[in-house]
Amino acid sequence: MSTLVPPGDVDAVVLPGTTTDPSRHAPTPKRAGRGGRLIAGSVVLYLVLIIIAVIYIFPFLINVATAFKTEPDAAVDPLSLLPQNWTTAAFHTLFLNSDFPVWIKNSAIVAVFVTVGRVFFDSLAGYALARLDFRGRNVIFAGLVAVMAVPSVVLMIPKFLVLNQLGMYDSYPGMIVPLLVDAAGVFIMKNFFESIPKSVEEQASIDGAGTFRIFWSIVLPMARPALVTIIILSFQGSWNELSQFIISTQNPALTTLTKGVAGLASGSLSQGTQYPLKLAAAAIMTIPVAVMFFVFQKRIMNTSDGAVKE
Amino acid sequence: MTRARRAPRREGLAGWLFVSPTLVVLGLFLLIPVLMALWVSFSDWSGNGSPFSAGVNFIGTKNYQQLLSGGSLAETNFGVSIRNNAWYVVFVVPIQTAVSLFLAVLVNRSIRRGRGFFRTAFYFPSVTSSVAITVLWLFLFSTTGAVNKALSYLGLHGPNWFNDPDGIVHLFLGLFGLKTGPTALTQHTALGVSWWDWFAGPSVAMSAFILMAIFTTSGTFMLLFLAALQNLGGDVTEAAMMDGANGWQRFWRVTLPQLRPTLFTVLTLGLIGTWQIFDQIYTGTKGAPQNTTLTPSYLSYQSAFGNQQWGQGAAIAFILFVIIVVLTIVQRAVLREHKVSRRRLRAYDPALHGPTTAPQKEAVR
Amino acid sequence: MQRRTPFRLLALGAVVTATAVGLTACGSGFSSSTSGSSTGASAGALTHQNTALSVLIGSSGPAETKAVTDAVSSWSKSSGTKASVTPASDLDQQLAQGFASGKPADVFYVASGAVAGLAKNGSLLPYGNLLKNKSDFYPTLVKSFTVNDTFYCAPKDFSTLGLVINTDMWKQAGLTDSDIPTTWAELKTVAAKLTTSDHVGLAVSPQYERLGAFMQEAGGSVTNAAGTDATLDSSANAKGLSYVQDLLKSGDAKFSTDQGTGWGGESFGKGLAAMTVEGNWITGALQTDYPGIHYKVAELPAGPAGKSTMQFTNCWGIAKASPNQAAALKLVEQLTSTQQQLSFSKSFGVLPSVQSAATTWKQQNPALVPFLDSVKFAKGVPNQVGAADVITAFDAQLPSLATADPKTLLGTFQKNFQALLTSK
Repeated sequence: MSTLVPPGDVDAVVLPGTTTDPSRHAPTPKRAGRGGRLIAGSVVLYLVLIIIAVIYIFPFLINVATAFKTEPDAAVDPLSLLPQNWTTAAFHTLFLNSDFPVWIKNSAIVAVFVTVGRVFFDSLAGYALARLDFRGRNVIFAGLVAVMAVPSVVLMIPKFLVLNQLGMYDSYPGMIVPLLVDAAGVFIMKNFFESIPKSVEEQASIDGAGTFRIFWSIVLPMARPALVTIIILSFQGSWNELSQFIISTQNPALTTLTKGVAGLASGSLSQGTQYPLKLAAAAIMTIPVAVMFFVFQKRIMNTSDGAVKE
Repeated sequence: MTRARRAPRREGLAGWLFVSPTLVVLGLFLLIPVLMALWVSFSDWSGNGSPFSAGVNFIGTKNYQQLLSGGSLAETNFGVSIRNNAWYVVFVVPIQTAVSLFLAVLVNRSIRRGRGFFRTAFYFPSVTSSVAITVLWLFLFSTTGAVNKALSYLGLHGPNWFNDPDGIVHLFLGLFGLKTGPTALTQHTALGVSWWDWFAGPSVAMSAFILMAIFTTSGTFMLLFLAALQNLGGDVTEAAMMDGANGWQRFWRVTLPQLRPTLFTVLTLGLIGTWQIFDQIYTGTKGAPQNTTLTPSYLSYQSAFGNQQWGQGAAIAFILFVIIVVLTIVQRAVLREHKVSRRRLRAYDPALHGPTTAPQKEAVR
Repeated sequence: MQRRTPFRLLALGAVVTATAVGLTACGSGFSSSTSGSSTGASAGALTHQNTALSVLIGSSGPAETKAVTDAVSSWSKSSGTKASVTPASDLDQQLAQGFASGKPADVFYVASGAVAGLAKNGSLLPYGNLLKNKSDFYPTLVKSFTVNDTFYCAPKDFSTLGLVINTDMWKQAGLTDSDIPTTWAELKTVAAKLTTSDHVGLAVSPQYERLGAFMQEAGGSVTNAAGTDATLDSSANAKGLSYVQDLLKSGDAKFSTDQGTGWGGESFGKGLAAMTVEGNWITGALQTDYPGIHYKVAELPAGPAGKSTMQFTNCWGIAKASPNQAAALKLVEQLTSTQQQLSFSKSFGVLPSVQSAATTWKQQNPALVPFLDSVKFAKGVPNQVGAADVITAFDAQLPSLATADPKTLLGTFQKNFQALLTSK
């Protein structure tokens, strides 16, 4: 659970089924003939939007700025975006005198494996549930839905017992395997496969291609938009995951960014507040998801543009 | 979803093969753990060795009883955690829904170029990890932090956010000189917490978390609303316009009812998410000050991993599970009730089709 | 469509789960067994497979981690038994996971409040009586790690509370060394003299772990001598709290929370208070965070029933599940040796837990002698299972002390603590 929202919902936005709809068109907010009031209205609108945008962006600017401040500076002038004395001390400490590089490495390893795994397994299962007719399909579907309703905190206690029974406690597989599949991702893929026409597969089927081949070389390439969604969600979800790593490891060599930085945040009082250090760590751990976000933002956002684009 | 052709037999095998990785992983790390946790919640397992070893006994509902009655500290702590989380939900869910809808409407009205920028700005907090955001929040809301500094420019003396255990409802009543509750409220308790304390409201510390939740999730929900707004039938709006309804009336009578499915999704996701708040508490306050940011999920974790009360920890998790399921069902029932606006909407709808399902149409096919 | 289905199925899921409750409950059997009654371990019965030792520590920082790592590796070299040190990010949780998985660390820190719980569930090896240097530990520390008359583990080190005084403010108020308070009355007098518009005389965290010292000085206790009944609602305890309440009411003392700080040390370091009641860890914090503060340490002034203070300590736990308990015991003996204790103290500012180190330590740390001398009358925090939670609940009430009735606060404390003792 990275943010307050389970990872399955961002995608509700990106569900191909609900996105584009050429038969409908965007509301037409502006009508000619009400000139002055309209302009005044727009000014107010943009003013409000800009103020809110500042509120949303400013904390992150403070975050970055404070990472370059000295500790007294951070305490005296928490609002300023320009450090009085620029210092990279926090970054020095993080990269040269702490386990921070190890945390980055672990987070990266987990995120990559989880993303690859989810792309493959989610689409496999999604395809089967959408297209293949087999006994028990409805039961599996119902099971998946029930599974999504289980709060993740219920699982914290026994999950590591299972990991331990399997000899996976305190290892990379123990961190990765439980995250390899997510029910929400299966749903996204299932919905997507249901939305594309069947004719191509049917043709291939007649030509004698096997089910896996049809899936692998015909259907999967068509599913690129949905796969991008899965990639974004999986990467973001596993990079931001915390509780799974709390319960699956204790070896400091396996600490991830989230677990490490959370430990940093609750450091004992007598060590001082160390805000520049903590905020530098927070800023760095945000970079990969931020990059991903900006690279794929068209994809994340284009839901709403879809209706407008021709 | 009727299938046009009968499946060849080999699809059965392929189907099972395709879903098997999903089934194995979810079975191993979801189903089995849930069953194990259930057993633990009915056992006296104290965390040494396997919960299935010979020394572990079935003790019936004792763990649950201790939490729900009996006047022990376990009950009080559980009560306090429910109180804290309930207030958190009461504030976060409506506010984040309203804010995200508000943002969506605003963004939807702006021109396309601006739209991209604002969407990005509002959505960005949602992609960052809760750990990073919590660290940032601890700084922003520290005693000498950015928020209090900003307030001081406005001539206000900000509270000592994460160290302030006072409930904001109590603080508000305190303004009118009401510092101690009437005996009718202080004498009677539920779950070991007096009625007066149930009405304390979220502590100032919890309020900082509430603001954080709104900040981080409103972007996500804004996207949901935005998508729904874009899919709305312009024809209905136009009909309403011809009818002479002004913008505000149009929004309440036409737009909002059409958004009901999305509204339902947002409220449900909000409800489920807010009852599970853990990362923020683990990273930030660990329940302090004075247990006013203690939540059931953190208490569950703390009972098991900190105090060796594994049975109790598991029991808390299951009670929480039940709370979430029940509330979701209740909410669904409540939201279903309002039929009036639908009728009114129909009057505007030239095509006379069921407009409430409009955004879902494509999914239904 | 998809939107709607989940919620119908959610109900189904609930039914499935409910059915599973029944199944699991039946399937797992109702075996009964007596929980491990634990008297001390005997030397011959220690496990002694030649396996490497793992040491799990809850470190206060890099200095402590390095000191312990160095000590363990030097022991490892001389003994020939391999050993590695792991600093825990969350000690309690990692210990819990270790015990539950059956593969705990061999040697680890245990807080005095956690001993009883781990002893009760059979995780700890009760090796106290096997220690060669057993009689060298301060008796009050041994008591903190004794559960049901069994001495479980060797005290690692400890801390006590003292009165920390800002010497600059002291001089400004025209006070001299002879004014250092030794009684409650004197403390009240100097607190009043030290209070100015900028700072209060005394700042203290609203916690049992601080105010408990005043309760003890008034003659109060947590339980009766036999430990069978809670005695928190005694008039002595109330007297201790009332004294603090008077200080608060007069404005000569404030809670750190009311000053917007996290603990007494922060109030003191920021110059918001001329005195505070804190432990020896404050010296490290002042050095790193507030190097400009000049201070001096005194024993807590005596109350109506004499001197007292709180004491905090950890021990070196050894896991019952360790395959090499014999080597673990040897390691602990080395880590608690006089020389090693002095060296730890130098590295991260704790008080040595063995009496044989006292003389040298006092020579090395003349300014901090009152902390060590306080061990004579120090009392540990209650270590019953669940006591930590009860104390947290009491701490939740304490900030209201200025206006609340001490008896009411203690009433709840008493009720909760009595529940612990009876449920045992």
